[in-house]
Amino acid sequence: MDNLLSEGLTLMVFGMGFVFTFLTLLVGVTTLMSKLVVKYEPAPQPKAAPSRSVSPAVAQGGSDELVAVITAAVHKYRS
Amino acid sequence: MDKLLDLWLASGIYNISVGQFAMIVVGLLLLYLAIRKNFEPLLLVPIGFGGILANIPEAGLAFSAVENAVHFATPELLSGFAAILGIASVDPHDVLHAYHTSTASVHAAATLFANDNSFNNGMLYNFYTVAIASGAAPLIIFMGVGAMTDFGPLLANPKTLFLGAAAQFGIFATVLGAVTLTSLGLMDFSIQDAAAIGIIGGADGPTAIYVASLLSPQLLGAIAVAAYSYMALVPLIQPPIMRALTTEAERKIQMVQLRHISKLEKILFPLSLLILVAMLLPDAAPLLGMFCFGNLMRECGVVDRLSDTAQNALINIVTIFLGLSVGSKLSADKFLDIETLGILVLGIVAFGIGTAMGILMAKFMNKLAGGNSINPLIGSAGVSAVPMAARVSNKLGLEANSQNFLLMHAMGPNVAGVIGSAVAAGVMIKFVG
Repeated sequence: MDNLLSEGLTLMVFGMGFVFTFLTLLVGVTTLMSKLVVKYEPAPQPKAAPSRSVSPAVAQGGSDELVAVITAAVHKYRS
Repeated sequence: MDKLLDLWLASGIYNISVGQFAMIVVGLLLLYLAIRKNFEPLLLVPIGFGGILANIPEAGLAFSAVENAVHFATPELLSGFAAILGIASVDPHDVLHAYHTSTASVHAAATLFANDNSFNNGMLYNFYTVAIASGAAPLIIFMGVGAMTDFGPLLANPKTLFLGAAAQFGIFATVLGAVTLTSLGLMDFSIQDAAAIGIIGGADGPTAIYVASLLSPQLLGAIAVAAYSYMALVPLIQPPIMRALTTEAERKIQMVQLRHISKLEKILFPLSLLILVAMLLPDAAPLLGMFCFGNLMRECGVVDRLSDTAQNALINIVTIFLGLSVGSKLSADKFLDIETLGILVLGIVAFGIGTAMGILMAKFMNKLAGGNSINPLIGSAGVSAVPMAARVSNKLGLEANSQNFLLMHAMGPNVAGVIGSAVAAGVMIKFVG
């Protein structure tokens, strides 16, 4: 019986200790990762994408124009 | 007349036992709670219905082929089983006991013998084998949860991970409570049972089911029912504890707006977590591996179709089978027991302690940070129960100060709690599995 209790106590001390150690390390890793990303990531790119896909299509006119409009709408919807 | 008698002897009314009747009532009660009171209906409807199906007399839906064969057995069949299992007795109880404790090869031989005599596994037994005994269903659900989780608030304020860690104290305190009850001679839990019961305090259904299926399958029904019922009761259990442990001034603290998180950070986070798990705690790899995989699918942006399936269609399909399989474990001899009562009481204690420790940790961090930057109410969200616990924090914050929106701040500790309880589960499996 006492054996079971001491087993429970050990589990509690080790378990809690491990959970804290693990999450502390995760805090460290996450913070480091965020710092690196903020430092090295180039300026935001996604804004360039929609204008690129629309401009060449507009010039052609007729049913192509319709296709372009639809393409742009689809792009807008997906992004 | 003989035909009429046969029909009567095969009827449910003739065969039903008191226990089965009581369990059908329990199943109906679960359905009532789910449908009328809206308690985690997505799980309690399948669980309650599965519980009713499992207790239909003579149908044997929740039993294996051998169990069904023994139930209907003729003396010749019983002596056949006794020969295969290597025992002298042909008493059905002894045969079943020998079957449950036999090695895998004897198990398979007994099953084939039952099949030869045209007995088959019950439907729910098959569901249980495929969904839970294999470990598949809880893990697939965890993948879906990963695909639904936005780590943005956590990444904006990584320190909230400590709140998720503190709230796991409820799990381990409950393990101690369960072994204490055993030492006092009130209940009879092994250390494995105690560990599986403790996980209820993590407030995370799939994790609780996964751990119970590995450590203590005989308690799975009660543990799953307790875990999901308490998750539904979060808005009732937590607020009194939160009010008792915080002052009015602390509840009014407003937190600064979270910074913007870039897409790259969100992609790198599940990968960092995965590597940390791989290096430190491989036993948590099934749970956290699937979780990280789901989250990566969500954030990487190139597999939207897979992410969509994981968080909608797939998780729904798996939930149906998981619920029915858990229901199959609601048999009278396992559930109508003083230990179920113990599990229900210990579960709610686990929940309360987890909530309290989260709040106390948040108060401590607030003191360290100067006393006016962290609202202690977000600490209670460290028990997982996503997103219910975060909503409770938000609600209490708004009560104290109508301009105080804590929801996003509480989502940080909330998802940290998911990681924390999965890590705690890994530790349990490592130490007592």
